Amino acid sequence: MSTEARAGLPLSHDEARAAARSILDFPGADAVEVMVSASNDALTRYANSEIIQNTVKKELRANIKVVIGDRSATSATNQLDPEHLKAAVARALEAAKASVPEDHAVGLPHPDEAGRAEGVFRWDDATADASPGVRAKAVNEILKIAGDGNAAGIYQTGAHCYAVFNSHGIDCYDAYSRANTTCLIDVGDSTGWGEGSSHSASLVDMPAVAERARDKADAGRSPGHAEPGTYEVILEPPAAAGLLDYLGYMGFGAKSMIEGESFFSSRKGDQVATEAITIADDVFHPDSVGIGFDFEGVPKQRVAIIDGGIASKPVTDRKTAAQLGESSTGHNSGSPEFGPYAFNPVLEAGQSSLDELIAAVTDGFLVTRFHYVNILDRPATDLTGMTRDGTFRIRNGELAGAVHNFRFAQSALGALKTVVGVGRELVSIAPDYASFGSTVAPALRVGEFHFASATSH
Amino acid sequence: MKELLRAALDAATSSGATYADARGVEMTSEALGVRGPQVEALDRNESNGFGVRVLVDGAWGYSSSAILTTDEAQRVARMAVEVGKASATALSKPVELVPEPAHQATWSTAIDKDPFSVSLEDKVELLTTAAETMEKVPGVRVGRGTMDFIRQETSFLSSEGSNISQTIFHTGGGIEATCVSGGEVQVRSYPGSFRGHFAAAGYELIEEMDLAAHAQATAEEAVQLLSADPCPSTTTTVVLDGHQTMLQLHESVGHPTELDRVLGMEAAFAGTSFVGIPDLGGLRYGSEHMNVTSDATIEGGLGSFGYDDEGVAAQRVDLIKEGILVGFQSSRETAATTGADRSNGTMRAEGWENFPLIRMCNVNILPGDGGTLEDLISEVDEGIYMATNKSWSIDDKRKNFQFGCEIAWEIKKGKLGRMLKDPRYTGITPVFWGNLDAVGNEWKVWGTPNCGKGQPGQTMRVGHGTAPTRFLDVSTGTSQ
Repeated sequence: MSTEARAGLPLSHDEARAAARSILDFPGADAVEVMVSASNDALTRYANSEIIQNTVKKELRANIKVVIGDRSATSATNQLDPEHLKAAVARALEAAKASVPEDHAVGLPHPDEAGRAEGVFRWDDATADASPGVRAKAVNEILKIAGDGNAAGIYQTGAHCYAVFNSHGIDCYDAYSRANTTCLIDVGDSTGWGEGSSHSASLVDMPAVAERARDKADAGRSPGHAEPGTYEVILEPPAAAGLLDYLGYMGFGAKSMIEGESFFSSRKGDQVATEAITIADDVFHPDSVGIGFDFEGVPKQRVAIIDGGIASKPVTDRKTAAQLGESSTGHNSGSPEFGPYAFNPVLEAGQSSLDELIAAVTDGFLVTRFHYVNILDRPATDLTGMTRDGTFRIRNGELAGAVHNFRFAQSALGALKTVVGVGRELVSIAPDYASFGSTVAPALRVGEFHFASATSH
Repeated sequence: MKELLRAALDAATSSGATYADARGVEMTSEALGVRGPQVEALDRNESNGFGVRVLVDGAWGYSSSAILTTDEAQRVARMAVEVGKASATALSKPVELVPEPAHQATWSTAIDKDPFSVSLEDKVELLTTAAETMEKVPGVRVGRGTMDFIRQETSFLSSEGSNISQTIFHTGGGIEATCVSGGEVQVRSYPGSFRGHFAAAGYELIEEMDLAAHAQATAEEAVQLLSADPCPSTTTTVVLDGHQTMLQLHESVGHPTELDRVLGMEAAFAGTSFVGIPDLGGLRYGSEHMNVTSDATIEGGLGSFGYDDEGVAAQRVDLIKEGILVGFQSSRETAATTGADRSNGTMRAEGWENFPLIRMCNVNILPGDGGTLEDLISEVDEGIYMATNKSWSIDDKRKNFQFGCEIAWEIKKGKLGRMLKDPRYTGITPVFWGNLDAVGNEWKVWGTPNCGKGQPGQTMRVGHGTAPTRFLDVSTGTSQ
């Protein structure tokens, strides 16, 4: 893809480079790093079967890091003219002078050390430049499928670009487009859910998403009560992705391992999941959406974090890699406090269809997705949260009616250690908290999953 | 900025908007994070931009940009109108706004010391001193300290004639000690978790918290937690400190009484509410000790302001009176659904780029006659005292919840006994609040800076006035 200015591209490589170059040799700094990002993001939100909010935003940003000896500090501005950029780099310089020398200081990368960062350029012109009318038309199609059901959700389209430059010569650029849709349909005593995400709107089957939500809502009518307890469960891809996201947040980064807070801290090399589980951070996977380098301009590597069930390797940035005596895997998150982050986890597909996974369950439940998950114990990977929008009883290999939502209390790795089946269809899920990254997951058949309590809805 | 906003308003109305407002935001922020003697983060940001909100053919449109030129203002306004026209193709009923007088006003947070005038060296020294003190305590793996400062200048113009300028300062800070042993992690923080305590205040808040003076005790408690007994699984009387009462109030009272949730507008993401409009004036939400307000007028709250982000003046309203639901948090669009003729002023947006939503301002539980924390504990024959929020989770109707705290102590015959680790409790919202036995009188306005809501996701800074509280028949312990 050409990175020259084109419709929908928020900022070209040349425009980003021109902004960065105005401050890369700022007097008084030993080295300067500038990450320029820009986005055109639009989101049409519907609820009660009508569009309730509808937004289009254009955002620019320069994140600046200044290094003086072993001291560093950062600043940011969303005004990319030389005057604001110079003021921002001056703020970072002043802050770096006020800071203290850093142990394990690694400075900024040189191109020779970092390697050449290639863009992924997962791009679709129509998605990047979709108009409000295009989004509204798609929402109206969803509302037709919802029929007398009460529909709510989003249709988001947009384009994002990131570029990293530093005074040692790092110069890289990537851009991606993204379409993301969710659909909840409420038919009174039950709700159903569908979602889809891709770099291209043409690959998001909006009618199928809505039909899925409608079918689930209809199948979920007259839910019954089920006793909490430990059961065999089928986690559909959005539910599996929910577990995966939190597992990554709790422990896939090397900083949390070094500080003793990750499961890696005491279980690196251990069999923490069944052999069927391989989780890699892989922005190059065809279903991933993201960029090919990290916030320091280091090329991203595919990292098999859990490989055949073994806790293999956390993702690193240059600082944590140096502490571990390794090379960076290219996962600087831009937050020195949080450390490296796996933005594109992919749970490898298995062999079974969803129907085959369900057919193998004698007595258990199917979970469509989770709601409001939170951490109970980080090293133990203990989580709690709710099921929602379609929790079904499975008896003798068939769905046997809906049940009220459960609260679960479960170790994520504990669940992955009892996985007895992995779905063959991978689904890309956009994180609901940001425009960056993606999670790719199949359905899972989990042998033991603990529901702690039940609700009345 | 006002000139640019005026150009946007003119372009919006001349393009067909029947209502328009334009909001410009100039935000400056500074964040510091240290680990022991090391500075992990020293970040100084600015974000300036504007957004235009319009009603066209009875539907909302919103567009925003970081490019501060008149041409861009006009382009963005025309885009907002185009967006509104698209919204109108899927509209069941035209949006109607309840009246609000046009305001010509200027408002600022009252502060004693501008946090941006204090030297970075002084801030770094204060934090590293506290963090080093914690790391010197045997058993502490990591000692952290943080400070956050925000100055937000907002300009608001509307096609109804409002012209408002506001300057808001938010300040936060805290320390945290982490201990690790045998795969177990225990954390203790002061004065609150998740980057400490926040308020609408200047640097005086940091000085009042005296982080360094609390570092030793905070670290020692973290170490003690490693060898403490687990919190038992039982049903008992629980006393919550003000910080945990804040999160309990936030999740199980603040969110369920947001009128957009009640009306189903957040159904697909944050969820709805177990409360309905017919419940107004009749639903027993909690015991007679429960009095809750939504109050943007109190001093020091993260939700204190002069005017909300649709130009409605700050107000104090009752949400729950003696345990009965009497109010919702509303907007100009939603207020009429409850029969109200005015919004109670809770619409806020994160930054310039986002559409305003109903957000808690300061949702407060009013002080009761339970006396001091010591008094609350002294009346408990057997129970558990829990302090400082650690985790939270609640269902999509805000009914079934589970909370975890950093630390607890058993209560025996009115006195605190042994320390307990990993305290958790679960409950059902109206049952739990129905068992509210007493509210103390040591009232403080806490701040939580990270309340998420909306799509695109927005993070809001929210205030909660609370005192320690006492609840009967609470299910505690782990739920596994």
